[in-house]
Amino acid sequence: MSLAEPAALPVATSAAPRLDVLKRLTTRFKASLPAYLLLLPSLVFLALFTYGAMGRVFVDALYQRATPKAPLHFVGLDNISAVLADSAFTGAVVNNLIYAVGTAIPSIGLALLFALALSRTNAVSSALRAALFLPVLIPMVAASALFMFIFLPNVGLLDYYIGRLLPVLPNWLGDPDIALYAIMIITIWKNAGYYMLFFLAGLQAVPEDVMEAAHLDGAGPYMRLRHIILPELKPTFLFVTVIAILNAVTQVDHVFVMTQGGPSNSTNLVLFYIYQQAVEHYDVGKASAATLLTLAALMGLTALSFRTMATREGGP
Amino acid sequence: MLFSRRLMLGLAMAGTMAGALAFPALAGEGPTEIDLFFPVPVDGKLARDMGTLIKEFNDGHPDIKATAVYTGSYDDTLIKTRAAIKAGKPPSAVIMSANFLLDMQIENELTNLDALIKADGTTKEQFLGQFFPALQGNAVINRSVYGVPFHNSTPLLYINADKAKEAGLDPNKPPQTWADLTDWAKKLTKREGDKVTQWGLEIPCAYDYCGWMMETLTMSNGGRYYNEEFGGEVYYDTPSMLGALTWWNDLVTKHKVHPPGATPGPAVSTAFISGNAAMMMLSTGSLTYVRDNAKFAYKVAFIPRNVRNAVPIGGASLIVPAGLEADKQKAAWTLIKWMTSPEKSGWWSRATGYFAPNMAAYKTPDMIDFLNKNPDAKTAVEQLDIAKPWFATYKTVPVRKNLEDEVMLVLNGKKQPKEALAAAQKAADETLKPYNAETSLKLP
Repeated sequence: MSLAEPAALPVATSAAPRLDVLKRLTTRFKASLPAYLLLLPSLVFLALFTYGAMGRVFVDALYQRATPKAPLHFVGLDNISAVLADSAFTGAVVNNLIYAVGTAIPSIGLALLFALALSRTNAVSSALRAALFLPVLIPMVAASALFMFIFLPNVGLLDYYIGRLLPVLPNWLGDPDIALYAIMIITIWKNAGYYMLFFLAGLQAVPEDVMEAAHLDGAGPYMRLRHIILPELKPTFLFVTVIAILNAVTQVDHVFVMTQGGPSNSTNLVLFYIYQQAVEHYDVGKASAATLLTLAALMGLTALSFRTMATREGGP
Repeated sequence: MLFSRRLMLGLAMAGTMAGALAFPALAGEGPTEIDLFFPVPVDGKLARDMGTLIKEFNDGHPDIKATAVYTGSYDDTLIKTRAAIKAGKPPSAVIMSANFLLDMQIENELTNLDALIKADGTTKEQFLGQFFPALQGNAVINRSVYGVPFHNSTPLLYINADKAKEAGLDPNKPPQTWADLTDWAKKLTKREGDKVTQWGLEIPCAYDYCGWMMETLTMSNGGRYYNEEFGGEVYYDTPSMLGALTWWNDLVTKHKVHPPGATPGPAVSTAFISGNAAMMMLSTGSLTYVRDNAKFAYKVAFIPRNVRNAVPIGGASLIVPAGLEADKQKAAWTLIKWMTSPEKSGWWSRATGYFAPNMAAYKTPDMIDFLNKNPDAKTAVEQLDIAKPWFATYKTVPVRKNLEDEVMLVLNGKKQPKEALAAAQKAADETLKPYNAETSLKLP
C-alpha cells in the first residue's frame, strides 16, 4: 500500500496537467481564433504572392538547360556557383555596396540635420518640412525622367548652370566614373526627407526634463546633442539605417529608366542584374540563383536588425 | 406580400448577376478580342498615332475588337511579350524589333506565317514581294515567314544647314566619305578656349542604339557585324570593325569634334535641336520629330562611307506569338494585313518618319504629294537600295551588350579599340556557346 500510494500520486498529478495543457491549448486557440481569422486574408496573400513565389524561385534555381533546345535538368548548386563566378554579378555587388554606403550615410546625415533644424513646430518650419518631404511624394520613375533632363550633357539644367564654371562638361550619365554617383544623388535627394520624418518623431521622445536639467547644469548645444539627443536617437538610427540599406537593394527604378546599368555596367546593381539575367539572357536558373543570394543577404540583415532592436527593448 | 416582394427583389438581383456572368459567353459570339503590343522606340507622338490607327481598324472591322497596348521600348516589348507567353496569355500580335525574331524563333515563341499566307491563296514570294528586298532578311527564317515588316528605318546623317552655311560648307553637297565627314565635323566644331560650345558631330551610344551604330559604321567600312545565315557567329574582332571603332574614337580623342562618353539617342536629338550639335547620325524614325521641332533649316544625307555605302535596317515587324487560338490568330492576321497595306503603311510612315515597308505605299497619291513637299523623307527611302539586314543572333540582346559595354569604355577613354574589340569578341563567343554546341559544333 505504501508503495502504491506514491505510485498513484504521480499518475494523478501527471494526468491532470496533460488534460490541462490540452484544454488550455484549445481555450487559448478559441480565444485567439478571431486573431487568426483577422490574419487569414494577409496570410493567404503572403502565401500566394510572397512565399509561393519564393518557393518557386528556390526550385527554379536548381534547374538549367545545357543548350537552347535541351530540356531543363537538375543541376543542384551549379547556378549559384555560375552567378558567383560571373564578373557582372560581383561588379553589381560592389556597385551596390558603394551605392548603399554612399546613399545611406549622406541621406541619414541630411535627415538628422533637417530634423534638428526643424524640430520646433511653427509656420516656417512646417512649410520647410513640407518642402523637404516633397521629393518623397514624387514617384521614382517620374523623378528619374526629371533628372534625365537635369543631367542631359551640354544642354541640361545642370550643365546650363555649372557649364559656365567648368572647363570640360562632364557627361553625367555617360561616363562610367560619374554615372553611379549621379544616380546616388537622386536617391539622397529623394530619401533624406523621408528619413527626416523618423528623426522628427525620435526627437519628440527625447525627455524634456533631462534636457532642462542639462541646460541648468550649463551644457551647451553641442554637449546636449552629443550626450543626450544622439544617445536617445539610437533606436531611430538603427531603424533608419536598416530601411536605407533595404532601399539601396530594392529601389532601382532610376537605374531602369536612366542608365539600364550602363555605361559598361558601371551603374549595374544587384536587382538590375537579376532582371537582366531573367529577361535579357532569358536565363531563369541564374536569375533565381542570384535572387536567392540576395534574399539570403536581406534576411540576414533583417534578422540582425531585429535582434539588435529586441535586445534594446529587453534591456534596462 | 412582403415575402414575395423580397423574393422578387432577390430574383431580380440573381437575374442581373446571371446576366453579368453570361455576358462573357455572349461576347464570344461577338467580336474577337485581340491585343496588339506596341513599343515607342523613338522621339515623337507614336502612341497617339497608334490609337488613331487602331480606332480606324475597329470601325472598319465590326467582327474584331483590337486593343493597342503600349509596352515601352523595343527591349521592354520583348520582355512583356515573353512574360505574356509564359503566363499562357500571349498577345495576338506584337510590333517586335526586327532583330529579335531569330532569337524568338529559336525559343519556339513565334507562329510560322506560311500557313496563313497560303490560306489567302498567295505564295510566299508574292507576299514578300510587296516589301522592299532589304527588309526580307529579318522577316524570313529558314525560308519560312515569321514577321511582316511594319515600320522600318535606316540611320541617316542629319545636318544643320544654317550652321553648315555659316561655316562655309554647302549643305546641298553633303559629305560622301568619312574623310569629308571628319573635315565637316572639324569645321562645324566651335570652341572657346578649351571649351567646346558646339560639337561637329554626335553619334548616339546607349544600349540598343550603340550596337546599331557600330553595325552602321562597320558596314560602311566594308564589314559585316554578324553571320547573316547563321545565328551563332559575330565578327567583332575584325579589321573592318576595328577601323570603325577607331574612327569613332578618333572623333572624340584626336579630332575632338564629338563629345566624349556614351550619349543616348534622345540626348543626341535634343543637342541637335538646340544647336549644340551641328550634325548627328540618327534613325530615320526621328525624322518627323526633327521636322516638327527644328527651328532651323536641316538636311538629311546618306551615311558617308569609308569603303562602301551600306547601312543596316532597323525598325520593327509585326509578329504573331505561338500558342494562340485559331480565331485570334485569324483576327491578328487580318489586322496585320490591314496595317501593312499600302494606304495604312503610307499614313503611318508620314505620321512617324519611318519609311513604309510596302513598296506600293509610295505609289499612293498622298505619299507622292508628301514626298514632293518633304524631299528629306525621300532620302530615307533611297538609302534602302544599299541597306542590308539588322544583326540578329541567338540571344541578340546580351550578344549586342557584349560589344556595347566595350564601345562605351572606348568612348570614355578607358580602353583602346583593339583590346576592347578582342574582349567583346571573347564575351560574345561565350554567350553564343550553348547555341553553337547544339548546331555548328554538334558533330556526328
